[in-house]
Amino acid sequence: MLAIDFGTNGDVVVSGRLDAAQSPPAQAFLDKVEGAVTLDCTNLEYISSAGLGVLLKTQKRLLGSGGKLRLSGVSRHLQDIFVYSGFDRLFEIEAAPGK
Amino acid sequence: MTACRAFRRSIESIQDIFAFTAEVFARDRVDPALLPSVDLTVEELFTNMVKYGSSSAEVRIDVTTIEGGVEVALTDYDVEPFDVTQAPDVDIELPIEQRRPGGLGLHLIRRLVDCVHYEYSAEYRKSRITFRKTQVAPPACDGGHCAGSANARD
Repeated sequence: MLAIDFGTNGDVVVSGRLDAAQSPPAQAFLDKVEGAVTLDCTNLEYISSAGLGVLLKTQKRLLGSGGKLRLSGVSRHLQDIFVYSGFDRLFEIEAAPGK
Repeated sequence: MTACRAFRRSIESIQDIFAFTAEVFARDRVDPALLPSVDLTVEELFTNMVKYGSSSAEVRIDVTTIEGGVEVALTDYDVEPFDVTQAPDVDIELPIEQRRPGGLGLHLIRRLVDCVHYEYSAEYRKSRITFRKTQVAPPACDGGHCAGSANARD
């Protein structure tokens, strides 16, 4: 399952699995954010191409209005996915500590 | 050891599929580090079958434990041929304005698993996609295939 909400520091915190079934609610949440947004992926266990599509659509929209989506707390597995898909060129990515 | 199960052709089945793969990994003591790549590959292949197939038949998934990992087969019934191993790679160097999410799933699969093999039976209108993921082989960054693809006529 997936949980997505604002953390106490204003970052968007996502946890669980961002798969094809969970992408629509994630997209609905991210469609409402504005400006420079950090997505805390520390507890994001899994992402598929459907989840990548959510991030891409959000990044395009935010860049279009002068904002951006930044990814933090990214695990080694997610980092591999982002590199293989070329998302490391499209997003500022901060690895999880010790990764 | 092989475990097999059939899943309703729906995106909602993904949670049940993940439960199935996790169950097999735990039962056969397969390295859990391989599970995210296996789940991603199964999800991408399964969702392709759901999106582009017009059949109402269930999709069968077989997971076989092999040396150092697993071999997984997805069998789709009453479908037209579509060789996933021939799908073009995504150009990841395009600027963001030109990037589209489509095609990323098959692009990723080629980099995450050891090999992918496609077979189609024209007589039974059945497609079967098999892939392997082991600890030994590195990701197939060159878009590797198990043994090429085949259009069987059985």
